[in-house]
Amino acid sequence: MSDSLEQSFVQQLKQNQNIIHKICRLYTSGQDAHNDLFQEITIQLWKAFPKFRGDSKFSTWAYRVALNTAITLYRKSTRSVSTVEYESQKHFISQEEYNYEEEEQIKLLYQAVYQLNDIEKALVFMYLEDKDYAEISGTLGISEVNARVKMNRVKGKLRKILNP
Amino acid sequence: MEELDLLKKDWKRKENSFSQLSEAEIYGMLHRKSSSIVKWILIISILEVFLWTGIGFIYSNDDYLKSLKHEELLVYFRVLNYFNYAVVLVFIYLFYKNYVNITTTSSTKKLMKDILKTRKTVQYYVWYNLFMIVIGLISGFVVSFAYNPQMQLMKEKMAHEGKYMAITLGILTLAVIASVGIFWLFYRLLYGILLKKLLANYKELKKMDL
Repeated sequence: MSDSLEQSFVQQLKQNQNIIHKICRLYTSGQDAHNDLFQEITIQLWKAFPKFRGDSKFSTWAYRVALNTAITLYRKSTRSVSTVEYESQKHFISQEEYNYEEEEQIKLLYQAVYQLNDIEKALVFMYLEDKDYAEISGTLGISEVNARVKMNRVKGKLRKILNP
Repeated sequence: MEELDLLKKDWKRKENSFSQLSEAEIYGMLHRKSSSIVKWILIISILEVFLWTGIGFIYSNDDYLKSLKHEELLVYFRVLNYFNYAVVLVFIYLFYKNYVNITTTSSTKKLMKDILKTRKTVQYYVWYNLFMIVIGLISGFVVSFAYNPQMQLMKEKMAHEGKYMAITLGILTLAVIASVGIFWLFYRLLYGILLKKLLANYKELKKMDL
């Protein structure tokens, strides 16, 4: 692959790297796992880049490939999550003033999300990213109606985890 | 759900809180090795093809067949061999086609289908090889019994003693079952580990779209 292609890819990825970071935040815990998945996604994006025609935005394309990599191609087990590992993510939080009680609740929410399976995490991710149901159904390859049903189930499941 | 909205609020707030990678760091990542499942399936499949072809070369039975002085056997096994190579070539083509088909841009469900199809191909390939092991072993035994002069003594013994024949047949059957079993187990372990997570996710997606 030519150098200019590589350069264009690296530049665009650099500008859009937060998409990948965000997926890593949901699918991994701890900085090492985060970096691992980030690298795997970068490799998959680079491999798929020649097929990216520019008929959609780089960011739209990248988030699909990245999400699919997290669901299908990534092999490291990230299931077991402890509170300690969440603490290590604290440095992500900007130093704004925050409500302590709210922060505790958010911590519990993240822990609940970590207990979901890969597909459910993808749904949560797309919800957090304000993707509409057409986009969700297209990304996962399921019908819109089912995407809606499943989203409601995921919310229900989260509620159950939070209030057992 | 208000909890999720709280999460969303936090999500948006932390949007730009990641330590940013430089272009140089991203360049470095591009040429590192992927650890993706599909790559491993492809590598293992290719290794398998080499393994089987290698075994075929090492245990060439041409000399043995020549020593039996039955030219027609030589032709028969040659044909079987060529047929086998043709089938292996078809499989290599299929593996490659599957690999090319897997593009990460398709929908998750389609992608998983493609990956699982790759696995199916491997599975057919393994079944074919198991079948060929059985055919090979059985025809080997038959040829030995029918044409090898050294087996004459054994044949006479077997004709006279039913127990001896039963034991011989039993050992041969066990040998076939053991070789098939060992390979099958090895295969199950290898792909089972690789595809455990993928299968779980695929089932989850399928459940969603019933």
